[in-house]
This record gives sequence, structure tokens and C-alpha cells, in this order.
Amino acid sequence: MTSLDIAPFANALVLGLSIASIWLIAAIGLTIIYGTVGVINMAHGEFIMLGAYTSYALQSSLGLPFLLCLPASFAVVALVGLVIERGLIRYLYNRPLDTLLATWGVSLVLMQGVRLIFGSDPKYIAVPEIFQSNVEIGFASLSVFRLVVLAITALIVAATAWLFYRTRFGMQVRAVMQNKEMAASFGINADRVYMTTFAIGAGLAGVAGSLFGVLAIVLPTMGTAYVVQAFLVVVVGGGTLMGSVAAAGLTGELQSVFAFVTNDTFARFLLYVLIVVFLRFRPRGLFAVAKGRR
Amino acid sequence: MTTRNLYHSKPAQWAVYGLFFVIIALIPAFVSDGFLLNQFAVYGIYGMLALSISLCWGFGGILNLGQGIAFGLAAYGMAMTMQMQSQDPDSNPIPPFMLNNSLEHLPWFWQPFWSTGGGILLALVVPTLFYVVFGTLMFRARVSGPFFAIMSLAMLSAFATLILDMQPYTNGANGISPPSPLSIFGTDIDPYGPTAYWIVCGGLIAVTVGAKLLTQSKFGLVIQALRGDPERVRFLGYNVALYETCIYAISGFIAALAGCLWVMLIQYVSPAQLDTTFSIGMVIWAGIGGRLSLLGAILGAFLIQGGQSYLGDQFLATWLLVLGAFFIVVVRFLPKGLAGLLEKVLGALARQPGKHARSDLPHAISGAPAAGE
Amino acid sequence: MGVLEIRDLHKSFGGTKVINGFSLDVTELTLCCLVGPNGAGKTTTMDLITGRQKPTSGSIVLRGDDITALSEHEIAQRGIGRKFQVPAVFRELSVRQNFEVAYSREVNPFRNMLRRRPAGFSAKLDEVATLTGLKDRLDVEAGFLSHGETQWLEIGMVLMQNPAILLLDEPVAGMTESEIEKTIVFLNELKRTNTLIVVEHDMGFVRQIADVVTVMHMGAFLAQGKLSDIENDPRVREVYLGEPEV
Repeated sequence: MTSLDIAPFANALVLGLSIASIWLIAAIGLTIIYGTVGVINMAHGEFIMLGAYTSYALQSSLGLPFLLCLPASFAVVALVGLVIERGLIRYLYNRPLDTLLATWGVSLVLMQGVRLIFGSDPKYIAVPEIFQSNVEIGFASLSVFRLVVLAITALIVAATAWLFYRTRFGMQVRAVMQNKEMAASFGINADRVYMTTFAIGAGLAGVAGSLFGVLAIVLPTMGTAYVVQAFLVVVVGGGTLMGSVAAAGLTGELQSVFAFVTNDTFARFLLYVLIVVFLRFRPRGLFAVAKGRR
Repeated sequence: MTTRNLYHSKPAQWAVYGLFFVIIALIPAFVSDGFLLNQFAVYGIYGMLALSISLCWGFGGILNLGQGIAFGLAAYGMAMTMQMQSQDPDSNPIPPFMLNNSLEHLPWFWQPFWSTGGGILLALVVPTLFYVVFGTLMFRARVSGPFFAIMSLAMLSAFATLILDMQPYTNGANGISPPSPLSIFGTDIDPYGPTAYWIVCGGLIAVTVGAKLLTQSKFGLVIQALRGDPERVRFLGYNVALYETCIYAISGFIAALAGCLWVMLIQYVSPAQLDTTFSIGMVIWAGIGGRLSLLGAILGAFLIQGGQSYLGDQFLATWLLVLGAFFIVVVRFLPKGLAGLLEKVLGALARQPGKHARSDLPHAISGAPAAGE
Repeated sequence: MGVLEIRDLHKSFGGTKVINGFSLDVTELTLCCLVGPNGAGKTTTMDLITGRQKPTSGSIVLRGDDITALSEHEIAQRGIGRKFQVPAVFRELSVRQNFEVAYSREVNPFRNMLRRRPAGFSAKLDEVATLTGLKDRLDVEAGFLSHGETQWLEIGMVLMQNPAILLLDEPVAGMTESEIEKTIVFLNELKRTNTLIVVEHDMGFVRQIADVVTVMHMGAFLAQGKLSDIENDPRVREVYLGEPEV
């Protein structure tokens, strides 16, 4: 095969990596929340959307440079997440289906709230010129911004892994995940752990949103497009960090390859069917959360 | 707690249901405006959808966020049937939108819809069959509740994008608009006439009676038991996955029926019928009305959809915001919805002082059962 | 040839071996008590018999039929019932409804859609409700029962199910003295029509009900016989009490 033949396929593989990083960064906040607290947060898409609007608002009103908008979005959305956890989620921990529904209500409120405040017209987030060009990697071509997303995703995954496996806080989280009562008897404030974890998960969604606001346009409804994808990463991955990385990588590459072979839509349909079949044989996902016996 | 709560009395329940049936059946006698009649009939469809969710989620504990799959697929099937009714095999075999998309022959999966009976049958059977397969896969694997909910949502979105993208075959985002009303046995069914209304009304009544009898049967009892403790039910000898698939498929069939009737009324279908917001909306109707009450769910749909039409597009954003907030309140404080509120009120009225049939105290103190041996 | 034959059962969870070559023959219409120190594998054995877990190797044979690979409900249909350590009842349903679900002669969902009160149910309900002392509590929501009543409800449910072999996991845990007395009478009565396997720690209770006692240790069979023989067996004493003092 000449290099001309494998180039488009290689391009698909590289693009798959970019898609995987988008899925992963969209899902990482959700993974943390589900893995620790066991909550499926239907408002996750709206946390992403809030991150995008935060960056837009900071940029248009304060002229904040894009790279500073990222941590700012983290902080703002984390705060929103905190309020929602304290005000609602913590009363529903033993009712997983009801939490799913209550957070859907939250998503409606957030979406419509943003619509009333900012309007339904699309907004745009500006990025430095250098991010807008394309770069050649061997025979594959990718926009610089997608590389930035890839880099930031890797950074966030590393930081999250460090937080959960190398710090004292992370150990507390893992203890609470395994056995809440026992952890409490050792003096760990499970309530605080849940609250902080939820806030961090929300904040990460905010960062993802800032990035997505550049990749796509900023609309009140932008979150819904990422929600299903993010959920699937968590479902297939099983709820652990490693699981989500593996799931995002697998599904991102599969989607890109399928799209290369057929078309974009049929690729997605095929992928979802594959996931359903996969779940039949491994209902808890690739690397499921190891919960202790109750 | 051995005093009788009127809410739980079966004869009282059937009486209320009967009253409801009589009221909705009599509406055409008081309403002559065809447009309004059509609108009421559409509410009836929403009621059927809410009922199907109540059956599956309230009674069975299976949260299904993708009911639009059955509703939408059946709606497309019905639209295809009605479209082919206006086509002629010799002079006009291909729907106009396909010609616009440069199709020269009728696609193979459109062929069965030449027959009205066959088309309607397919519209009902295919979605139900999908539910049977999907349900079997998921329930035999004992996938957790939230995961199942998400998978149903994912499949819904997958179907929606598929239909949207198959432009030449489904007319994509434009949807299918059959030019004439449904024709059965040679007669046209005017969507704005009382006949169409009564067909929907009859459908709603039949489905409600069937569902209520189902919940009162042994099957219904097992379903409610497995909602609480599926493992215990397994150890008693019941094939839980089979029961779950049954209730899920029955719920899907009702949604499919609703989809067919909807197209009969609206003469249009588009990928919007497979919108995630619409499917989740059905859960909100049932949740607010009362997921454990079939009539509650139906009335919940009437209330919310009625409110939404009344407030119109101008206040839509605010309406949705208020709805979202109200839904949060219901989930948090009123898990059994407004029907549950009624249950509590009637329960409180029944427990008036001096009317105690038995005090619970002696049992708690002695710990020994009081019956003689 | 017993009604239930367990042959060389092995079960590992990850790297830990929980059941290590356990074999047991259960004779029909006897009450066999399964005892042993914590972690001996008693509850796991019950899980394996009822199909909640699958053994790594070994076989379980019920009246000549190999049930090792069957699922929980198939095993239950073949006549094995179980009462859990923590009472598992349907808290949102009434006592009567709990009994009704437990009356599982007919498990086919389609036939159950068409019927409401199966034949023979009312008589059996009367019998069981009287026996368990819940006759006046039939319309109470199960979640509102006292702990002892909940235990009796679950016992009643298993009676409604009427399995040939009944597995009871610590049935008197949390019961008052009088309730335990009542349970002893009731189990001795039940021995005449059903086969019972009881996991227990309370030796006084075991003494009053057991026909044969089987001791498990580290996932394997240690000793079997009448309680008096077991109590004097040096190996058993060693396992429970440690090395004998010199």
C-alpha cells in the first residue's frame, strides 16, 4: 500500500484520538461524580454549557484571555455544583433513579435560565490566532486547537489521577466509595467528601464547556449534545477513571473508524448497538467501581 | 394502619375511573369546534403515553427515558401507511419527497406499507419487537436501573439521528406529511371530526382498563414486588428478567398505539417525535401526576400539556423553567406525585380520633403476635 | 443417597479461596444444622446451593438432577427455598400481598396476567397467617412491622412457597426468648414435611432442633454427627477454641 492509501485511514485514527479526548473530557466530571457519589447527574450537559457561557461572559465583559477563562470557568461552575449538591442532591443519595430525574429538572432550570439571561442567539468565544491553524503530523492533519484539547485532557486526567491516588483527600474519597459507614467511623466526614467531589466534577464539566464553546458555538442547548456521549463513556467504563479513559479511547476510535467506513450517523448507530451488546455481557462496564459488601 | 383509606378501595377507584371515562366520552357532545376536538384528542394521546410510563416506571420500577422509540417508530410506520394510501402502484408509485431525492424505486422496507392492515400491523409490532429484544438483553444482564435509563436514552438519540440522516428514505428533518387523512375500509377519518376523537377516546379507555386489570392481577403484583426486591422475587421462583421484559414491552406497545393514533390526528411525523426532551417529558407528566396511579399519570399529562399550550410560545422559556423547578420539588418531596398527595389527604381523613380499629401499641411492646393458636 | 448431594465444591473470589472441596449429603425430612466459625463459608455454601453464586468447580445434585449451572429462579422452582439473614420482604406491599407473591405455584407471566386469586391460595393463606401470628396484620404495609414480625413474615412467605428443601440463614437472629421458643416448636413441626438446612451460631437453639450437625471450617467439611458427638470432637474444639491447654 502506498502512503496515499493509508493516509486517510491514519487520519481517521488520529481524528479518533481527538474525538476520544473530547468524549473523555466531557465525561471526566461525570465519572468522578458517579464513581464516588453514585449519582447520574442529568444536569451535566448544563454544567458544560455554563462553563462555555462563563468563558464567554468573562471574555466579552472583562476581556479575560482564553487560557485564564479555563480555571475561572472551573471555579464558577464548581460553585454552582456545590449549591446544587447542598440544596438538592444530598437529600436523594439513596434514590438513584430519583436523582436522575431531579437533576433533569435542574438541567431544565439552568437551560431556560441561561436562555432568559443571555438569549437564544449563538455566542462565540475567541481564541488566540495560533490555535486556529492546522498542523501536519506525518500524513494526518489536525487543527491546533484539537491538539490543545488533547493536551488539556491529558493534563486533567493526570491531575485527577494524582488527586485521587496520591493525596490524602483522594484516599478519603476512595474509603468513602468502598464503605461509607466504616469510613465515617474513622473520622472521615463523608458528607464533606461528597460535597467536594460533586463540586470538582462540576468544575471539570465547566472546563470542558469552555473548550467546547470554541469547537462548537455557544448556545443554551449545547450541553445536550454531550450528555449522552458522556453517559455512555461512564456506562461502558464502569465509573472509574481508568474505565472512562479506556472507554473514551475505545469508543472514540471506533466511532472514527466506523465513520470512515460508512458515514457519521450510521457509525453512531452502530456504535450504540455495539455498546448495548457489550453491556449484555459486562453489565458493570470495563473497570467497575469496586464497592464493598453492604 | 389497619383503617381503610378510601384511596385504596378498589370499588372507589373503579368508580372514579368510570366517571373519567364517561366525561371524556361525552366531550364531543359539548364541543363542536373541530380544531378543539382534535386538540383534546391529542391530549388523550399524551395521556396514553404517560400511562405507559406509569406502568413501566411506577409499577415496575423501570425508568425508561426512551419511550419515544416506540412512539416515533410507530408514528413513522403509520405515516408511511397513510402516505402509501395516496399513492397508486401504476400511476404514482413513489412519494414525492423520494422523487425529489432522486430515488427511482420504492425502497424495500416501504413495500409492505402498500397494505393498510399490514402497515398498521408493522407499525405496532416492530417497535414492540425492538423493546422485547432490547429489554431481554438488558434485563438478563441485570444492568442497573440508571444504566438502563441511559441506554434507552442513547438508543433513542441513535434512532433519531438515523431517521434524520436517511434523507432519501424518510425525508429527514422535513418529516413525512401524508396528503390525505387515514382511510379505513374506504372511509376517510376526518382528524377534526368526532369519529377520530372517539377512536382515540376508545383507545385510551381500553388501554387504561387493560392496564388497571393488569396491575390488579398476579402478574401486576409480582411486578410491584420485583420493583422493591428483585432478588427475593427470583428466590421465590419467578423469572424476573422475563417479567421485566413483559412489562417493558407492554408499555412499548401502548406507546406504539399512541404513535399510530397521533399520526391519524396530526397527519405528520418528523424526527422531533424522537426528541429526547419529549421522551423525558412523558416521565415528567407521570412523575407529577403520580407514577403509581394510572389515572394520575393521565391527568398529569393533561395538566402539563394543557398548561403549556395555554401559555404559548412567548412564555415558553419561563414555563419550562417553572416546570423544571416544580418537577424538582415533586421528586424531592412528593415522590408519588399529586396522586400521592391525594392518598395522604384521604389517609389522614380516615384516621380520625376515636375511629381507630386497632391500636398498634400492644404489638410493639410485647413483640409477640396476638393471634391465638 | 440423600435428597441433596453436594460434591467437592470449590469457590474462589478473585484470589481468595472461600470454599475448599466441600461435600455434604442431606437426607430427606431431616433438619441439618450447618455450623462453624466466622468465615467458614456457611453463607457462601447457601449462595452456591441457591444459585446466587456459581461454584468454580464441583456439583450440586437435587434428587438426581444436576442444578449447579441453573439460575436462581430455576433452582427455586425445583423446590429450594431460602430465608435470609436480614429479613427480605417486600416493604411497600401489605402482608397479604407479600404472602400472595410468595405463593408461587404458577410462575408463568402470561398465565399470571389472566388470574387474580390462584386456586388453593385462600386456604393456605389462612393456615400460614395463623401459624405466623400475622392474621390480624394482613393489611399492614410490611415496612411497618416490628423486627420479629418481619422475621415471621419471611418465614411465612417461604411456607407459602412450600419448597421441599428450606434453607434458613440465622433464623432467630434478633428474636426475643418467646419468639425463639415459638420458632423451635415450629421448626420441629416442619421437619415432618420438609427438609431443612439451618445455618446457626446459637448452640442452645441448635441442640433443640438439629437431627444432624455439620461443622464447616475454612470452606471444607470438618465433622458431622449429633450435637453431643460434635461437642466432644477434639478437632472441633480446636477450631472453635484454639489449641488445647497443656
